[in-house]
Amino acid sequence: MTLLPKQKPSKKNLSGQVPQQIPLPVSLSDEATFGNYYAPEDAGNTLVINTLKEMLQDDGERSVFIWGAQGCGLTHLLQAACHSAEIDGYSVQYLPLDELSEFPPEALFDGLEAIDLICLDGIEHVLGKESWEKALFHLFNRLRDADKCLLMAASQGPHELPVQLPDLRSRLSWGLVYQIQSLDDEQKLAALQMRAKRMGLELAADVAQFILHRAPRGTAQLFEALRNLDHASLKEQRRLTIPFVKQALNY
Amino acid sequence: MPASVWKKCVDSLRDELPAQQFNTWIRPLKVDDSVTSVLSLQAPNRFVMDWVNDKFFDRISELVLQNADTSLSVEVKVTSQQPVRYQRRTVQQPPVVEYSELQAAIPAQNSHTKQNSNGPVLDEAGALVMDGASATSAITSATTSRIVTATPDEQQTIAAGKALHVPASVMGAKKERASTVEVRGGLKHRNYLNESFDFNSFVGGKSNQLGLAAAQQVAENPGGSYNPLFIYGGVGLGKTHLMHAVGNALVKKNPNAKVVYLHSERFVADMVKALQLNAINDFKRYYRSVDALLIDDIQFFAGKERSQEEFFHTFNALLEGGQQIILTCDRYPKEINGLEERLKSRFGWGLTVAVEPPELETRVAILMKKAEQARIDLSHDAAFFIAQRIRSNVRELEGALKRVIAYAKFTVRDIDVQLVREALKDLLALQDKQVSIDNIQRVVAEYFKIKLSELLSKRRSRSVARPRQMAMALAKELTTRSLPEIGEAFGGRDHTTVLHACRKIKSLREEDSDLREDWKNLKRSLTS
Repeated sequence: MTLLPKQKPSKKNLSGQVPQQIPLPVSLSDEATFGNYYAPEDAGNTLVINTLKEMLQDDGERSVFIWGAQGCGLTHLLQAACHSAEIDGYSVQYLPLDELSEFPPEALFDGLEAIDLICLDGIEHVLGKESWEKALFHLFNRLRDADKCLLMAASQGPHELPVQLPDLRSRLSWGLVYQIQSLDDEQKLAALQMRAKRMGLELAADVAQFILHRAPRGTAQLFEALRNLDHASLKEQRRLTIPFVKQALNY
Repeated sequence: MPASVWKKCVDSLRDELPAQQFNTWIRPLKVDDSVTSVLSLQAPNRFVMDWVNDKFFDRISELVLQNADTSLSVEVKVTSQQPVRYQRRTVQQPPVVEYSELQAAIPAQNSHTKQNSNGPVLDEAGALVMDGASATSAITSATTSRIVTATPDEQQTIAAGKALHVPASVMGAKKERASTVEVRGGLKHRNYLNESFDFNSFVGGKSNQLGLAAAQQVAENPGGSYNPLFIYGGVGLGKTHLMHAVGNALVKKNPNAKVVYLHSERFVADMVKALQLNAINDFKRYYRSVDALLIDDIQFFAGKERSQEEFFHTFNALLEGGQQIILTCDRYPKEINGLEERLKSRFGWGLTVAVEPPELETRVAILMKKAEQARIDLSHDAAFFIAQRIRSNVRELEGALKRVIAYAKFTVRDIDVQLVREALKDLLALQDKQVSIDNIQRVVAEYFKIKLSELLSKRRSRSVARPRQMAMALAKELTTRSLPEIGEAFGGRDHTTVLHACRKIKSLREEDSDLREDWKNLKRSLTS
């Protein structure tokens, strides 16, 4: 893991003649926040967001488990919870278990019950390993004894995950368990437009549809495409039209 | 000043790092305000500290250089919130047992101990109470040191702990904290009992009546003939609740009773810390001075020989002193692998009781009780419906009820069966169709008399392709898997292939009566 340099402006020279304005890296931080999370009204996602916001309150649920298919926004929600808790003055720790699965879990989890909110992302990546399952189980008990919050995310529900340790499995479904629904195409369209608006971009419905049809379908990649467009439109001083999008994203 | 400098650094790092890395490593770092000469950052544990030192330290130093007016050096330490305390206190008054353990502080000084007594005394309830002084002398003389090799597991933990660097400033902070705890804890030491787990909140039924009766007996007459009380059974059936209920009853009857509840993991961790800090005698004294020792999930002692050794001696000392021991386990003592025989046999000396999964009536009663505690109006029908569907254990029952309550509050509706159905949609659906992709593939291959390997192969002849499409369409309909996941399960195909298969089968079902029949048959055999 190394520090990444700031995103460099694209070297591609589109027009070749006119001196281009170099975009300043001041586009609104795309930090994952609750406000930035598109929750369709009919899906249960608003209920989930309320639950997450209330976790740290006196009568909030201390253990929440959210699950869903890749691209449904689990990581976004976990990071948004961190963000919001930190603003309220709580201590937080986010742990992406897919990246950390090679490490000794006891050391990683050591002393975490002093932290107000622990977010464990990608639980599925460490299941089936005895040392990890035990460490998770012990962490769960310690956090519960200390009345601290644990927010977990996984690709499947507690029943379907390949958990070996029954003690751990029963604890995963002790608190609130929610499945996060992936967005359908119509919702993706709305999410794309919402995100564009927050970036200060005007994205017409037909242009959004155009992007949706051509970009990779994961929401993360869609938003990535949007960021690239934001950058290109600043640089080129162009509005987002279909021909411009086509050119800028090489479709 | 360091705080404002750090704030600027954080802002830069937030822009530079992917959000994931920022949240994992930078966000948890806190500035130690008590230090102004250097920028002292506190990491929640040693792991984060090492990582930050290794990967981010140079960049942080650079940023500090840019942002600070004067030169300011940086250090990263483990936060003082995580006390490593094992000090023998030189207290003027009685030489009380002092033992403080790693994570959360058990206040060391137990001011309730009777200061003038010189030996074990009986309290009002007839239970043996040992005060600190007598415990110390009694146990110091009784302590024998048998050398037992630590298991690799334990050794690793010990080694890791030895490398722990505890700076002097942190130690200072700990001492301060210890003394405040002592003042505040003047009336009562911390016992880790959860007050909400009492006998009133425990719902008895056929499945757990023996356990409940035994626990009530022990609460009435601790240290009596039911010593140790060994409660065993599956996960989420109320073992821990019963244990806490006894502890709470003991404390209620005698507020001075020294009851300690802990999970077996903490006993092990405490022992390991005690070994590192050469304070094993303090450890022994502490655990042997309690009136009741409640250890949860002792199956996790398995394979930890040194911990078993320590526990064996503690166990004997407590039993001899007439102090109550309560243990829980997920299985019958004789069935715990990796546990010494002499421990197994001792566990059976008192009373061993099993708790079974609650039957329907008890599950309904549990739900009604939980709803009452949450001050929620739960109709009997709705409770019955949940209890019928959720059968495995009480934790899951509780989780389901929480979801129903959250959903009812959110939608501002009363809880009836319809609402329960909506709130637990995915859970119920899962029960209705416990169908896996593997299962679908197997059944489809059998049905069309082709090999499973052919179904997953790249072959595109119709005799194989059509069943494959059928299986994909069934997987989409009967499981909650996403299209890419289904594609992956079918020999790493693209999700568009799955989508195409689903569409194709859908239109064929309208046109082709044979295929429609196949579809029905397969669906029936998979879901029945």
